[in-house]
Amino acid sequence: MILSSMRNVMFGYGETPVLQNVSLDIHSEEFVGITGPNGAAKSTLLKLMLGLIKPWSGSVSINQEALKGRKLTIGYVPQQVSAFNSGFPSKVSELVKSGCYPGLGLFRRFTKEHEALVEQSLRQVGMWDYRDRKIGELSGGQKQRVCIARALAGKPNVLVLDEPTAGMDAGSRQGFYQLMRHYVSEHGITVIMVTHGLEESGEFLDRVISLEQRESEEWQCLTTSSCSVRFGPEL
Amino acid sequence: MFDYEFMQRAFWAGALIGIIAPVLGVYLMLRRQALMADTLSHVSLAGVALGSFIGVSPTLSGFAIAVIGGVIVEQLRRTYRTYSEVPVAIVMTSGLALAVVLMSMNTSLSKSFSSYLFGSIVAVNQTQLWMIGGVALAGLVYFIIFRRPLYNLTFDEETAQIASGHVKWLSLSLSVLTGMTVAAAMPIVGVLLVSSLMVLPASLALRIAKGFLSAITIAVAVGLTGIFSGLTASYYANTPPGGTIALILLVFLLVGIAVQRVYIKVLKRKVFSKRETITKEQGIS
Repeated sequence: MILSSMRNVMFGYGETPVLQNVSLDIHSEEFVGITGPNGAAKSTLLKLMLGLIKPWSGSVSINQEALKGRKLTIGYVPQQVSAFNSGFPSKVSELVKSGCYPGLGLFRRFTKEHEALVEQSLRQVGMWDYRDRKIGELSGGQKQRVCIARALAGKPNVLVLDEPTAGMDAGSRQGFYQLMRHYVSEHGITVIMVTHGLEESGEFLDRVISLEQRESEEWQCLTTSSCSVRFGPEL
Repeated sequence: MFDYEFMQRAFWAGALIGIIAPVLGVYLMLRRQALMADTLSHVSLAGVALGSFIGVSPTLSGFAIAVIGGVIVEQLRRTYRTYSEVPVAIVMTSGLALAVVLMSMNTSLSKSFSSYLFGSIVAVNQTQLWMIGGVALAGLVYFIIFRRPLYNLTFDEETAQIASGHVKWLSLSLSVLTGMTVAAAMPIVGVLLVSSLMVLPASLALRIAKGFLSAITIAVAVGLTGIFSGLTASYYANTPPGGTIALILLVFLLVGIAVQRVYIKVLKRKVFSKRETITKEQGIS
C-alpha cells in the first residue's frame, strides 16, 4: 500500500531548481534506498518528503490508511549527525531516552518499558557498553549509531535515514543493514535511506531510487524494480 | 547590610534572576545563541528610552520592547537559517541605534540611564521585584513543563520538528522568555552586563557537567553564588553591582577551567602509571 506520495514536485535553492516534476510513491513496510552522486538533491528529496521544506509547486501527501489506525511516528537521522553539538551535556543513555519523549508528551511518566526500549535500541546498534559515556567523547561513527538508537527508541513506523552509515566500519555497516531489514520484515516499519553504498546495502533493499544526471543538467530518477518513480518532464 | 530594605530587595531579585538566567543560558548556549541576551538588553534599552520619551513607565516599555525584540530575532533567524549570528547582529545594532537617538532627544534622563547601563542595587524597586518574581515563576513553570521538547529542540531542531512538529512555537516562546528575563535582570546588572548572568554560569556548567540536568544544576549554583557574592562585594566596596557580579562569575569560570585541567592531568598520570605497573608486572612474569 502506498504510504507517501509526491506529485509533480518542483524545488530549488535561490533561483535554480534542483528537482523538477518529481512524482514518486513510497510503499508501507518497504526498505527503500535513495542513491545518486553528490549534489543530486537526495537529502532535499528526503526533506521534502518529511515536510521540512515546502515544494515550489506540486504536492507531498501521506496516506493515513496505510498507517492502519496508528499515529504516524517518524524517526529521522540527519546527515553528518556527528558534526553538531559535540559539546552537548548528555550521556549516551540520556540522549537515547529523549527519543521516547515525543511519544510520552509533556507529562506521561518514563516507565520501565521505556527503559527496556532504550536498552534494546542501544544493544541493537552495539552501544550499550557506552551508555554512561558523554556524547561528545564518542567518535563520529559511534555518535551516528547512538542517533540511530535514539530514532529506534521512539518506536517509529517510518524511519528516514540520511547516509546513516557514514563513519561506520564495514562490520557495523553490515550489521546495520541487517537490523533495518529485520525492522522492515518483522516489525512492519518503512525505512527510507539515502546511501552511497549500494554494493553493500543492495541485497537488503526492496527498491532503489536512483538519481542520475541528464545531459540537460536536470536530475532524473530511475528505479531498479517496479517503477513507481517518474522524474523529468517526459520520463 | 540586610537592615536596608533596598539590600533585601536586591538579594531577593538576585536570587530570582540567579535561578532563571543560568537555566536560560544553558539552552541559549547550546542553540548557539549566546549573544541573544546581549542583543535583547540593547533592544530593551531602546524600550526604556522610548518609555521615557513618550511618558510611559520605562520599566514596562523596556520589558515590552525586549519581548518584541525576541520575536523579531526568532523571525529573522528563520530568514537567515545558515547565518544564525546575523539576526542577532541586526537586532543588536538596531536596538542600540534607536536607544541612542531616543536618549539624545530626552537629555534630562541621562542620569537614570547610567543605572540601566551599569545596574544599581538601589534601582530595584518594589514593582520591579514583583516583575522579576513573575518572570522567574513563569520561567520555572515553562522549563518544568516543556523540559522534554526543549531538550530535543536544543539537541537538533530538524529532528525535533519531525518528531513533535511544535518547534516554531517552542523556539519563539524561548525567545520571548529570554526577552522577559533580560528586561527583568537589567536593574541589577545593567544593560551591558546582563548576558554575563546567562553566559558565564552556563559556560562553566557545560564544561564540567556530565549530563543535562547536572549542567542546569551547576549553572544555577554558580549563578546564585556569583550574584550573592557580587552584591555583597558591591555593597561594601561601593562598586557597580553588574560589573562586580560579572567579574566574580568570570573568576569562577577561570578557576573552574584551571581545576578541570589539573584534574584531567592527574587522571591521565594515574592511568599512565597504572599501565606502566601492569607492563612491568607482565615483563617480570
